[in-house]
Amino acid sequence: MKSRYQDENLKWIPILIIAIYLFPFLIKNATFSYKYYLYILNMAGIYIILTVGLDLLSGFTGLMSLGHAAFLAIGAYTSAILVDQVGLPFELSLIITPLIVGIFGFLIGFPALRIEGMYLGLTTMGFGFIVKRLIIALREWTGGSAGLQVSKASFFGISIKNDWDNYFLIYTFVILAVIIARRIVQSKLGRAFMAIRDSEQAAQASGINLAKYKMLSFFISGLFAGFAGVLFAHTNHFISTDHFDILLSIFFIVMVLVGGIGSIYGAVLGTLFIVLMENLFIPMFEESMAQIIHLKAGEFQVFIFGLIMLLFIIFQPQGLYGMWLKMRIYWKLFPFNPRKRFT
Amino acid sequence: MKRIVSIIILSTLFWTGCENREGTPGITDTEILIGNIQDLSGPIKELGLLIPAGSNMYLDYINEQGGVHGRQIKMLVEDHQYNPQKSVVAAKKLIEKDQVFCLYNVVGTSPAEALRPILEESGVPLIAPATMSSSMADMSRQAAQYIFHTDAGYDLQTRVIIDYILENNPDAVIGLCYQDDDYGANALQGCAEAESNHSISVQKEAFQRGATDFVGQTMNFMKGGCTDVIIGGIVREPVTIMKTAQAMNYKPNFYGLMPTVDPRVGLLAGEVGEGFIAPYHAYYPDSDESGPTLYRELCDKNNVPAKMRGIYHYYGFATAHVLVEGLRRAGKFPTRERLIKGLETLNNWESGVFPPITYSRNDHTGVESLYLLQLQGGKQIAITDWRN
Repeated sequence: MKSRYQDENLKWIPILIIAIYLFPFLIKNATFSYKYYLYILNMAGIYIILTVGLDLLSGFTGLMSLGHAAFLAIGAYTSAILVDQVGLPFELSLIITPLIVGIFGFLIGFPALRIEGMYLGLTTMGFGFIVKRLIIALREWTGGSAGLQVSKASFFGISIKNDWDNYFLIYTFVILAVIIARRIVQSKLGRAFMAIRDSEQAAQASGINLAKYKMLSFFISGLFAGFAGVLFAHTNHFISTDHFDILLSIFFIVMVLVGGIGSIYGAVLGTLFIVLMENLFIPMFEESMAQIIHLKAGEFQVFIFGLIMLLFIIFQPQGLYGMWLKMRIYWKLFPFNPRKRFT
Repeated sequence: MKRIVSIIILSTLFWTGCENREGTPGITDTEILIGNIQDLSGPIKELGLLIPAGSNMYLDYINEQGGVHGRQIKMLVEDHQYNPQKSVVAAKKLIEKDQVFCLYNVVGTSPAEALRPILEESGVPLIAPATMSSSMADMSRQAAQYIFHTDAGYDLQTRVIIDYILENNPDAVIGLCYQDDDYGANALQGCAEAESNHSISVQKEAFQRGATDFVGQTMNFMKGGCTDVIIGGIVREPVTIMKTAQAMNYKPNFYGLMPTVDPRVGLLAGEVGEGFIAPYHAYYPDSDESGPTLYRELCDKNNVPAKMRGIYHYYGFATAHVLVEGLRRAGKFPTRERLIKGLETLNNWESGVFPPITYSRNDHTGVESLYLLQLQGGKQIAITDWRN
């Protein structure tokens, strides 16, 4: 039987990859403020790596996590300590840190064997609070609540000096993360994840070891988050506990939901949508709209995000990727498509 | 396939040769653009409205008088929600997109600390970061040469309060209720210094930013027999702790760090707030100095509501003096380097709002002394001279 990915047209993938690498040149010539846009895209790229991992956990295995900001924090702090205090090269940190975060994910996977749904969400949220307290307590290494300065990365002799260099590094890893995630989903592992999501009893009856695959899902998700953490620390050059609050974990869930839970491309689209909305589109209308609906400037963003969430959950629960799939089917069948297919 | 590749190449060519600005960013013949980053929708959003309003009141006053070297000062305000990540995004937007001349008044320690790499990379000065953490004036840290701090640190404030308590009661048992973040960490530094100077031990109780329940901490102070309790909060924390203590029939002397010098503490605490002592590092808004007098005149002229007037609104007004003086000293053809050099020429400079300020190449501390105010009959009265 063909998998869903074998059906799709993959010809556009190389073009998209070329476009990703050409984009900075385009934007550099288009605007003098290209560095700002590159920084926004870099942050979106880092979050994409994390949300793709989160989607493997929540979307494909059906395990909820409200602790991914904590995984990101562990990754960021571990890399900062390994590179700046232990003296390991950045390349080695890119391998070791995700493994460490993956082990944390593995450990957090234990409760997932017994609990599920909201209760698992709350457990992972508690993990987030513990990590924050631990970071403050281990002030000798982490700088405590004052935060930690992080050095610039050097990747195989190439110094990553600014947002321009970071863009190429981050998006190379974004492409790799998406390819790996797609391979996981297509593999036996991915099928086991989906079987667990759809029915634990049926999966167990089919011979799937629930404990093994659930913890493996947490481990893999932790790997992705750890990877994102390394890039986060060396892109921002400063990390503190204020970076990784519970709201960030909720934002990651929103990104996956808006993109379309249970689809790798959905996680990518959702993350891009939320990050670009927050930093580019909402600020354009913020001032004028805030006057019309009598909200203070800062509250407008919260209002819009709440509205987007509400509208997506009610009208488009399959997210942006689901919307795209419907559009594709509509145009494929056009003009012989039944009207209802596009709604 | 060929068509798509051609479109991509053509688009690249189309954009080639578009604009590229020259000259000093944020400076035109008629305007100076300043960037300000506040918490407009986060845990301390009430400050985010008051501080820039105070700054704008003074900047408008300067603009009405012809501006600085004929240029009007315009201030853009961004929101960071007290999140360092959003602070970085806001700074990048202000510097790269809006092309501001300098940054001013970034509120919060971690949001301001997060900007050090950007300041170093861009060479943009940050004037009067709105945080009293003395780490901002630490010249050994990254990008310190671009940061001009104005406020007396939390460490100095804590030390001065403990000195005062022990002067009046050598047998005092002191408690410190601190916010478990960078604010509290800086207060703890001052506390450790005082403990070592006086060979005493201070009972310390932590609370989380945004906490509303202080029963545990108050109970512990009562159990520890604390006669004097220092509160490192803003407005809600001292009021809640004093009311909680009242409900427990526990009556120590209460003190607060500088963010608690807010008339709302007296208003909300009522009779239990009587006698509350806190330090202050500028001439008080009710005093007869030239700065506070101008402040009251401008407040009346601009019909600033009574509920807005207070130390945070005044703080914006006061720190804007340092910004404007820096811009003046940067000369008719200002650059960021000239702004830094201009500020470093301040030598016992009398602003009318702060005690004399001196900056030099190796010292960007700003105000290094403070005095204590006490709530008496709902008014804050100075009870000491300047101390450091």
